[in-house]
Order: sequence, then structure tokens, then C-alpha cells
Amino acid sequence: MPGEASRAAAIIGAAEANDIGYPQTPKSSLTLHIEAINNVCEMTGIPIAAIDGIFSAGWSPQLAEYLGLHPKYIDTTAVGGCSFEMHVHHALAAIHAGVINVALVSHGEMGFSQRFTGGKGTGRPGGAGDPWDPGVQHTSAYGLGGAPTSYSHALNRHMARYGTTQEDFAEIAVVTREWATLNPRAVMYRKAGEGDLPPLEKGEWGGGKRGHTFGGPITVDTVMNSRPISWPIKLLDVCLVTDHGGAVLITGPEIAKTSKTPPVWIAGAGESISHWNMLEMNDFTETSAGRSASAAYRMAGMGPEDMEMAMIYDSFTVTAGITAEMLGLAPAGEGFTLWKDRHAAPGGRLPINTNGGGLSFNHSGMYGMQLLVEAYRQLSGTAEDGGFSGDSGKQTSARSCIVNGTGGSLSTTGTLVLVSDD
Amino acid sequence: MAEYTKPIPSPDPVSQPFWDGAKEGKLMLPRCSDCNRVHWYPRVICPFCHSMNIEWVEGAGRGTIHTFAVQHNRGLVARGWGDEVPYVTAYIDLAEGDRMLTVLKGVDPNDPDSIEIGGAVQIEFEEASADVHIPFWRPV
Repeated sequence: MPGEASRAAAIIGAAEANDIGYPQTPKSSLTLHIEAINNVCEMTGIPIAAIDGIFSAGWSPQLAEYLGLHPKYIDTTAVGGCSFEMHVHHALAAIHAGVINVALVSHGEMGFSQRFTGGKGTGRPGGAGDPWDPGVQHTSAYGLGGAPTSYSHALNRHMARYGTTQEDFAEIAVVTREWATLNPRAVMYRKAGEGDLPPLEKGEWGGGKRGHTFGGPITVDTVMNSRPISWPIKLLDVCLVTDHGGAVLITGPEIAKTSKTPPVWIAGAGESISHWNMLEMNDFTETSAGRSASAAYRMAGMGPEDMEMAMIYDSFTVTAGITAEMLGLAPAGEGFTLWKDRHAAPGGRLPINTNGGGLSFNHSGMYGMQLLVEAYRQLSGTAEDGGFSGDSGKQTSARSCIVNGTGGSLSTTGTLVLVSDD
Repeated sequence: MAEYTKPIPSPDPVSQPFWDGAKEGKLMLPRCSDCNRVHWYPRVICPFCHSMNIEWVEGAGRGTIHTFAVQHNRGLVARGWGDEVPYVTAYIDLAEGDRMLTVLKGVDPNDPDSIEIGGAVQIEFEEASADVHIPFWRPV
């Protein structure tokens, strides 16, 4: 039997900023937020002034001020890329409790453009400034750096424990790229110079319809021959670094009826954490998604067998492979088979990461909003017509979707079970 | 002593007994005197039973490799480490329980297949400054 809060609220619209990926002209993170918020309010017909709860990864007070709003619920949960799935969980609870009526979950992050502006791309708190912080004090001597330098340890442990190979995980990148070639918004949509547009000039980054030097279809060999980053992770096991803005609106059933766009119901939601610093990770082949997913399934009164598609955080191929196991979509050690056996591919029984994923669509540093926007587009049937602000993407027939965000160093997880009206 | 150019940890009052031990070549570990479990990193409260009765004991300095990776990307690794690539980072399961991060000494980063997950390692200390000797691990 579903939990009490199940379907108490719906995502009634989801939109992106006007320029995502590799924009020709950088826009600030705040501008990316505001464009997406304006777009989602226009697409739903819900005025910005009706928003009475703001949920973002660190930006909520600035967004309220910028928009001249005085919300009754202010949530700035910022625990990595899964923050946005948690925001949906929190918004569901706040609406179910009768505290607010219209929740905004918002994201803006110039992950790409910050390299040209000298600006700060993320809304995340600084964090690692305290040298006495035990996570800093007892790891800083050992040369770890960006996320790939940590996640590689999980991939190696998975290979040792289950006998999986680098080629197995490369299959995830290959199938995910196949989805990206069906989505003109994806950075890796096609190879630069293909189609009717001229090749990239020197210094141009392209992406989307302009194409990318390394865009278009890839094979397992392409992944295996890409340069080593942190063995066993290679370049094409790693997500993109892009700009993105996105926003979703969440309301109860009464307001949902007034929206111009269809509701996608929040049937289940859950969140959890296993550690923050990877030093404290217990089993490097498991994440807290096992717990967050079981909470979400329980609330929904549904199970993995009921899911018709999945949006799985793929900061790295290993993130997606392990998470598929944690969500109960594949047995332990066999997550990669969903991709290798093409169940996750276009036309497969369980489409996964239909936008092209963080690997080939867009990953701004935090990727949880991109998951939400694509899940909404698929379940509301608006992927093919492009929704409000984007170009079209491949439309599936799925009516249910499990969405799982992963944050930190395989640390935090937020899971949602979303369903469309029958 | 050649100047140590990589990041040097900052001991704090909670961890000071560990760093004092390191200067003498000893691996000092925090242990809960109620549930008798060793934990890492050092805390003022036991993460297993939440007792605040923590004592320090000398560990054996032995462990096994839980997992490892080879760092190749000089732009991605921590400041001071760029010139060292490729090098091998590893998580070590201590003989007493719980886990430490390290850079593995005495291994070939260009032949990761020669490094064994589960393989035995022992601790050694490198003098980074007069006050801070940093533990590293090496296969035995």
C-alpha cells in the first residue's frame, strides 16, 4: 500500500535556461536560474508571484531577493548533485503538510563558462577551507583532487569484487552516447562539421547542433583508447563540464489542474547518505541509493519491476553501473548488463538516461536538475515537441520512471518514483 | 632534509596523539574504551557506540589494500602532486579495523595489474616537517 504522502504533489512543469551546454556568450549562474524559472512559469501558466516555497542548492535566499518573493519555506540543501531530488522530496513533504502551495526547485551553474569569466560556477558552499576538518587533515597529504581521482577507486573495487572489466563499463558510455545523438540539446549530439552547419573555428567549443570535435556515435574501443585520467577511469568514462539552468514547479492536485502542462506525480521519494568523505565509505561497490530507493519504492507501493524507464546520475560510468544495482534494476555486480544487453538503449525494455546523460548531454557540476527535467519531459509526453525552452529529444512511451541522484563522492543519494496520469 | 613541497596536514587537538606517535614512527589509533573498536579518522565520540571514552593505542602498522587507482592527470590532482604523476592512491584496511587513505610506495604505476587488491602492506613515515611526519604504506 502506498505511503500517505504518495502522489500528494506533482511536478507540473520543467524547463531549462535558454542556453545550456557550451554557450557562445557566458551567462551568470543566477541568470541561468532566472531564465529557467521564467520559462517554467510561462509553460505552466503559474505566475512567479505564486511561488511560496524555494528549494535550491545554496541559492534560495538570493533567488527570493532577486525575484522580490517572500517565501514561507526556504530550503538550501546542498549535498552535491542529488540535492535536487532531495528538494523534490522536501517539497512533497511541505505541500503534504499544508505549509506551502507552489514549490520551485531551481538550478543554475556555469560549470563551463566559469573558466572564461574567472567567476565561481557553483552554488555550493566552499567547504574544504578548514585544515582541521578531519576529512581534509587525513586525506590532503595523498594527492587526490577532482572527482575522477576518487571515483576510480570504486570502479577498481567493483572489478576486483565481481570480475567486471573496463570494457563492461565502457558499454554504458557507448549506449548513453547513442541517446545523445537523438537529442539536439546534447553537447555530444553529433560530430562537428556534420549536418548543414560549418565546421568549428579554432577556439570554438560547439556542442549541440554545432557538433563537438568528439561528438557523434562511439564504440567500446573509443572509450578504451581515450586517455587515462585516474586508472581505471578514462576520459570517456567521465561526464562533461557544461553550463545548465533548470527549474521545476511542484504543487498539490488542485493547482496542478490549472497548469497548462500535465502533472507528473511524485509517487515515492527517499534520501540517504553513507558518508561524506570517501575515506568513510564502507563498501566501495555500494551506495546509499539502496536505502533511498527502498524508501521511495515503499512510499510508491511499487518496485523495480514496475519501472518503465530510469534516469540515473552518471557522473562516471561507474556511478551509473553501481546505482542500477542499488535501485534493484539489475543483480549486484551486473548493473552494466542493462547497457551491454541494450535494455537501456533506444527501443530497449528499460530506457536509461534518454537525454544522453551527464556523459554526453550536459553536466554542470551538479546534474540532479537535468535528471528531473528529462524525467518530466518523458512522462508528460513533451520530449518530442521540445517542451517550452528546448529542442526536441527522443520520446519514449514510459509512464513510470525512477530518478536517482548521487552527490559528493558516491556519498549522498536522492531517489524519486515518478508516474504520469494513466 | 629536502624541502617537502606537497600538502602537509594540520594537526588539531583531537588528532594530536596520532601526530605525536608518527614522529616516533608509531601508528597511534583511537579506540573506544567501551566497545573496544578502533576508528579512523580520529573523533571525540565513537562512531559505532557513541561513547565519548576514547583512548589511544599503538597499532601494528599492518593492513591490506582495499582498493587503489593510478592518478594520471596532473591538472586534476591536488596542488603539489602534479609533478608526481603517475602515482598510486589506495585505501588501506587496517589490521585493527577501519580504513586509511594513502599513496602507495614501492609499486609500479604503469603496471596496475601487478598491484593486488587484498595484498598486505606496512606503514612507514615520511618527515614532511619537524612536527608532521606523514604515514605512507608499502606492499610487503
